[in-house]
Amino acid sequence: MTGIFGFYPFGEGREKWEASRFIYYGLSAMQGRGQETVSFATIKKGKIEVINRDGLVDEAFKDPLPEGYIGLGQVSAYPKDYLIHVKEPLELVLAGDGKPALHEDKYEAFKLLAEKLAFAIDKNPLEETLKIIEEVKGGYSFIAITEREEMIFGRDLMGVKPLEVGSVGFDLGIVASESCALDVIGAQSSSSVKNGEAIIFDPLSIARKSSTKAKCAYCSFEYVYLARADSIINGIPIYDVRENIGKILAQKNKVKADVIIGIPDTAIPFSLSYSKEANIPAKLGFIRTGRHTRTAIKPTQMERLIGVQLKLNPISSSVDGKDVILIDDSVVRGNTLKNTVWNLKRKGAKRVQVRIGSPLIISHCPFGTEIPQKDELIGRALSKEEIAEIIGADSFEALTPEELSKAIGLDKAKLCMGCFTGEYP
Amino acid sequence: MKILGIGNGAREHAIAEKLCNSKYNPKIYWITDIRNPGLNRICKETNGELLLANTLDAEKVGEIAERLKVDFAFVGPEEPNFYGIPDELERRKIPCIGASKDVAIIEQSKAMMRRLQWEYDLPGKLLFKTFKSSEEAYQVLKNYENTLTWLQNVALKPARQAGGKGVKVVEDRQIYLHEEKSKFKSFHVNWLENYMKSYSDIDDKILVEENVWGPEYTLQCFVDGKTLIPMPMVQDNKNAHDFDIGTETGGMGSIAGPKMFLSFMKEEEFQSSVEIVKGMVKAIQDRSGKKYKGIVAGQMMMTEVEGPTIIEMYSRLGDPEALNVLSMLKSDLVDICYAIIEERLSKIKVEFKEIATVVKAIAPKGYPDFRNLAKNHPVQVDEESIIKNNCKLFWGSCELKDGELLTAGSRLLEILAEGEDMNECSERINKCMSYVKLKDGWGLYYRSDIGSKELLERREKMADRARRLYQYRIEKGILGKRVDWLPKIGKIDPVRVLRDELKGNG
Ligand SMILES: Nc1ncnc2c1ncn2[C@@H]1O[C@H](COP(=O)(O)OP(=O)(O)OP(=O)(O)O)[C@@H](O)[C@H]1O
Ligand SMILES: [Mg+2]
Repeated sequence: MTGIFGFYPFGEGREKWEASRFIYYGLSAMQGRGQETVSFATIKKGKIEVINRDGLVDEAFKDPLPEGYIGLGQVSAYPKDYLIHVKEPLELVLAGDGKPALHEDKYEAFKLLAEKLAFAIDKNPLEETLKIIEEVKGGYSFIAITEREEMIFGRDLMGVKPLEVGSVGFDLGIVASESCALDVIGAQSSSSVKNGEAIIFDPLSIARKSSTKAKCAYCSFEYVYLARADSIINGIPIYDVRENIGKILAQKNKVKADVIIGIPDTAIPFSLSYSKEANIPAKLGFIRTGRHTRTAIKPTQMERLIGVQLKLNPISSSVDGKDVILIDDSVVRGNTLKNTVWNLKRKGAKRVQVRIGSPLIISHCPFGTEIPQKDELIGRALSKEEIAEIIGADSFEALTPEELSKAIGLDKAKLCMGCFTGEYP
Repeated sequence: MKILGIGNGAREHAIAEKLCNSKYNPKIYWITDIRNPGLNRICKETNGELLLANTLDAEKVGEIAERLKVDFAFVGPEEPNFYGIPDELERRKIPCIGASKDVAIIEQSKAMMRRLQWEYDLPGKLLFKTFKSSEEAYQVLKNYENTLTWLQNVALKPARQAGGKGVKVVEDRQIYLHEEKSKFKSFHVNWLENYMKSYSDIDDKILVEENVWGPEYTLQCFVDGKTLIPMPMVQDNKNAHDFDIGTETGGMGSIAGPKMFLSFMKEEEFQSSVEIVKGMVKAIQDRSGKKYKGIVAGQMMMTEVEGPTIIEMYSRLGDPEALNVLSMLKSDLVDICYAIIEERLSKIKVEFKEIATVVKAIAPKGYPDFRNLAKNHPVQVDEESIIKNNCKLFWGSCELKDGELLTAGSRLLEILAEGEDMNECSERINKCMSYVKLKDGWGLYYRSDIGSKELLERREKMADRARRLYQYRIEKGILGKRVDWLPKIGKIDPVRVLRDELKGNG
């Protein structure tokens, strides 16, 4: 996955703004969407500067930051997934989340999209951008900046990947994958770009147009795992969805236990609402060593395990001598979960019943979310009983796709649940 | 009957239309700086006349009015009020709907308006400071750690009404972005100092106000010196572009109805807002010793700290807000004018239709900050299609010159729709906007989101949040209270500091 961010000042004095620090904090807020690469692009007097680096935002970028009053940024979960810089026939730089159906590889697919844009938008940029959105299938959002000092952004016809737009005072327009990035830089409002909508900021105006062919298939994985809990995506607060999930988990299998433990950070809201619904206390079960990393998206197995073990040191007194319900957000291979269960037992848990706040992942994602090969997915290979046995849990349950759609509050037909069902929009 | 109007824009076009639809069938005369095609047509159709003259030249306007022997005059915009046009007409015994210079000062000087509020201790006020130079202002604004909270989060304004331009709101609440925001504040106070050089009629140059949030609305009223009659509440939209992004404009569009108060406001809030405006009128009449006759309006915000609060006062109808209220007005505008002139507003009934109204302005690219770019583009409008869609067109910043329509740099025209459902009105207007074009291909823009369901929902959410907070303050008896604590200094009451400053000054 990727987090993308755009900064655009309007009006007299617009050149006085410096975009970089806004990009820096906007991307920091979305660091959870990608921790492999971080890129900045800025425009000053029509001149575009692009800087691509590896690592986390605060490691890769230190003062002095690049100069310029228009800015674009991206954090990505994929190695070498940098901003795309097209120089001909029109110079533009593009950041993208998801994947246009133009190529197997995310970077190559967005490169083709960027080239299409650069060729098409000489005249009537709004109409041409919309045409490209209508023509290019897939699930993606993008933000591009051009040498003409435009910012062009949009979402695919199904709105698979999120994109939010907001404002600061009488001066700034801000675009970001998640509303938390808008909050962090102090934006006053945030609205979702529509499915199949193209929007252009130019120095004198904003123009927007939506396709009449738009459908709706929001990525359901965003709601359970990808997005930050303080974000609002497509008008739906992530935190509310995660509370609903905890409640549904508590209702579907009523089991006795002494304590509810959520695995940080994503499963904490699940555990709190589970606790309330089941009337069993929730406790903090783990303390993290080092910074927050998103373990499931680390590229190698080794890194993932290091990540998990450092992330999750159990608090013995929360579990010692207790019947534990352990909640996690997702299960891919099951090995990190197995490790966690072992750890809890080692610290004195009597029993560990595992609950997953999402349906089991059984299939790939055509829209760029990195999911292991089919033969690496435990939820596809084994039954719930078998999984429980393997990870050493006393029981194992997960959400069904129907329950997830209920938690989000949208009909299944309006969601993409491909990774959970194998059926794609 | 002969009526003379003054002013150039879409608001004036709407006033003229309302006047000409009166049962008295008046002849409409109008003084404008440029030939507005809408006013031009109405003057012709009523056998009146459109006269080109400097609308700020009191002598000239007085002469014309006297020569034409008009029954009364109606001043549209604020600047003629500041230049004493109503006073001059009065002197020549021509009745006038327009605030005289001495009372119009509540709009002309935003600084003076705030002082009046504090001196008369009226509700709905904000903390403020005025400065004569950018240097002076910046010395105060640049402090971050050892300063009152409100001085970090500010609205920076020209101290005088300056044509809906020059206001910046800077919320400096993220210390990690402080450097950027601070630089911007410094840049803008310099800009303000420069901008204010063109106005010599006022001492204060820069107004710094505490930054507040909440839904905004305009409450326009008829007033005859004794009685004040409110019109329906209207909400204008100041940001140039969709999503409330971009530069401050004179207003890109407005919504009102179906009730007297907006859907996200409460009847009590309407009532207390009326009281606030009444209080302002009373105070300025007391201070100036003059009667306030004509139109007065509060451009207001429902804020967490004060409840209904004045952002600024208008001594005239708002543009575009005038279009909403005039289209909702059932009573004869001429009757109302006479009631104002003869000071018997308390005796008449003013009625409004219960209907939703949406107005949107369309402007050439370049408006508002780069007006030279927005000027002199030939205009082509398919008015018939607009009428077919049951919408009305009002000409704004457009000049009829040698049979050609040319943009004049500001909001080109405004389109109004009435209906049951605001969202439907909004969409109907969006459709009509496609019938407006510039022949040379230069771009136009308007806000597609004004009146839309999404925007209304957002306003409602904001209103609910602000309302909960100010009502809690009322319950606790702390409405309007602000407190700070500074290391080594201790507790500070910013209201007290301001009151002391005001006493010190005068
Ligand atoms: N103290 C404040 N706190 C927050 N926002 C403010 C404040 N003062 C002004 N604003 C915002 O700035 C806008 C313009 O301010 P104001 O009405 O004072 O200026 P103006 O240029 O005279 O406007 P107009 O076009 O109405 O004549 C307001 O509508 C409001 O959105
Ligand atoms: Mg105003």
